[in-house]
Amino acid sequence: MDILIQQVLNGLSIASVITLIAVGVTLIFGLTGIINFAHGEFLMVGSIVTWIAVQQGIPFLPAMLIAILVVAVMGFALERGLFQFTLTRPTNGFIVSLGLIIVLQHVVILFFGPNQKSIPRPLSGVWDVSGVRIASVRVMVILVTIAVVAMTFVMITRSRYGRALRAAVEDRDTAALMGIPVRRYITGVFVLGSALAGLGGALLIALFPVTPFTGGTMVMKGFAVALMGGLGNLTGAVVAGLILGIVEGFSAGYGFSEWTDAYSFGLMILVLLIKPNGLFGGTSGPKMA
Amino acid sequence: MRSLLLRGASLALCLAASAYQAAAQDADTIKIGVVAAESGAFVSAGHTLPAGVGLAVKEINDAGGVKVGDKTYKIELLKRDDRTDISTAIAATQELVRDDKVAAIFGSESHDFTLAMAKITQPAKVIHFAGNSTLAKVLNPQSVAPGGEDHYLFQSEPQEFQRSGSTARGVLSLLTPLVGHPLKKSVVIVGNDATGQFLTSYYVKALKAEGQEVPEVISYPPDTTDFSPFLTRAKSLNPDVVHFWYNGDSTLTALPQALELGVAPSYFLFGVDPGIWKERGLTADVPVAMSCVPICWGESSNANAKAYFTNYFAAGAPKGVTSSVSLLYYDYVHFLAEAWEKAGSLDPDATVAALETLHHKGVVSDDLSFNSSHQVTHATEVCAAAPGGAITCAMQQPPADAPN
Repeated sequence: MDILIQQVLNGLSIASVITLIAVGVTLIFGLTGIINFAHGEFLMVGSIVTWIAVQQGIPFLPAMLIAILVVAVMGFALERGLFQFTLTRPTNGFIVSLGLIIVLQHVVILFFGPNQKSIPRPLSGVWDVSGVRIASVRVMVILVTIAVVAMTFVMITRSRYGRALRAAVEDRDTAALMGIPVRRYITGVFVLGSALAGLGGALLIALFPVTPFTGGTMVMKGFAVALMGGLGNLTGAVVAGLILGIVEGFSAGYGFSEWTDAYSFGLMILVLLIKPNGLFGGTSGPKMA
Repeated sequence: MRSLLLRGASLALCLAASAYQAAAQDADTIKIGVVAAESGAFVSAGHTLPAGVGLAVKEINDAGGVKVGDKTYKIELLKRDDRTDISTAIAATQELVRDDKVAAIFGSESHDFTLAMAKITQPAKVIHFAGNSTLAKVLNPQSVAPGGEDHYLFQSEPQEFQRSGSTARGVLSLLTPLVGHPLKKSVVIVGNDATGQFLTSYYVKALKAEGQEVPEVISYPPDTTDFSPFLTRAKSLNPDVVHFWYNGDSTLTALPQALELGVAPSYFLFGVDPGIWKERGLTADVPVAMSCVPICWGESSNANAKAYFTNYFAAGAPKGVTSSVSLLYYDYVHFLAEAWEKAGSLDPDATVAALETLHHKGVVSDDLSFNSSHQVTHATEVCAAAPGGAITCAMQQPPADAPN
């Protein structure tokens, strides 16, 4: 029984990391139409910035804030300098993001080397509850994910900014005629998604060592969760992240462990075949006149 | 018009002079190439190849060069990045063989890449060294005989049954006294790729040959970062040792999670150097064994290794999980230079004949030599960190024959 409970907790932990990435992906892809496959590299940069800060003797919490800031600024620069020119041609944006993957990976290799980077665990305690081992750092990641997702949810659904943003997704031209600064809002969403990637990167390196190539694997799962949940739908991203995390945990624990990724992506294909707009319905991206 | 003719003539003279100079330089230089991943997913191991070969070339040139017959040559090293891409590795090999006319090639870090490269190096009679334990698939006395398909190909890492056997012996001999009771049950956790599947089949046989019960081999998808479900599965089997097999980076990701989950009373990390263990300040409340390919840089029972790694890192190579892989190439540049000197010729067939009979004193072993299948034999070093932090190392000799 303790093994079963442990596997459920493992699944929740996996889900929290994937969900955090998926929220960034679903915001950017769902609300701006930018297919940023380099989102995983934004995450990796967040990890590297955290690593550099911790190496300089900065405690984890301020290091995490620095990572969020740096990746947000990077997101702003890339949106203004690159992606804004691809808004009417999303395929171009997709190709640009593929190029960015290579560039960001090799910039990190050039300056910091190809080897794994890790930091001491910000929380090292492990609780043993009747044979079930719970690492405090994983609890921290789960709690931060819940808090961030809740805040983002409130911002998108309750705030004036969120309402304007959703209006812009429905029809950019009409939203612009109503006085909504659509272009600025798109930049804002991209920066927010980038900041979330910075946060995800900081949390990721608190859990696991990272390499310049860590982002690629993570972003695939982020996109899978975003699509399963419904593009732009935060509730969908959370539920799909939970489903994927539990499926991964149980397939690795009880099924053919080497097929763990295949189960996850197989599930995504199945969901998209049955519900093309995802489990909770999505935006299908912004509509251009 | 006259001015144009004069300019043309001057240009032709300059080109002729440059060509003459280049030819003269070529006459005093032996070109060798290295093809390895200096970017892409295999970069961690790949970048050690040019670093190791480059150090050996520098040492040889600083010592005056290679004396072949009456003439002394300097070695010129041409490095090519395969970008962890087999097509790039093939293109780089073609360039080195056809355009640069290298006498020898070192690489690559990947078995599949090496096989593709050998299709170019062997017909061109280019001596080819590769540190892939898996080349037994193509190397045998017939294939390396004169006229054979792989006459010029040499395997600079022991056969996999030898490496696995030497490693399993080392791990069990070092961990048993630290755990304090006989180790009977082992669980192997391995990345599910071609190399992982191939290597694991040998390692499981080697463990069983040492009396271990191996109830399950748990495979995980490559690039896994969260190992907790795999580790919980291993814990349910009550193992005495969990063996993280083959990918050093994945192993270092998995170990802290295993320690948090309390999976086993001891662990083995393949391909993780004790130097990394110390540099990262890793600790464990249970014994942890580590193995290097082939000798560790952070701690070693081999006296020659310390001087080698001091020079290796002083030359600018980064300290990595797999820095020791450089030794699968460094020794063989010196070995090749000795073969050229012994043969008194750069002729590929004479060089192969010399390589087949020489016994070279290297860093990895005082007696490096190739068997009748062009494969080398030596032990693999294993170290173990006790819970208190003390690290001890040992090199157990590999088995003579493959276990059934």
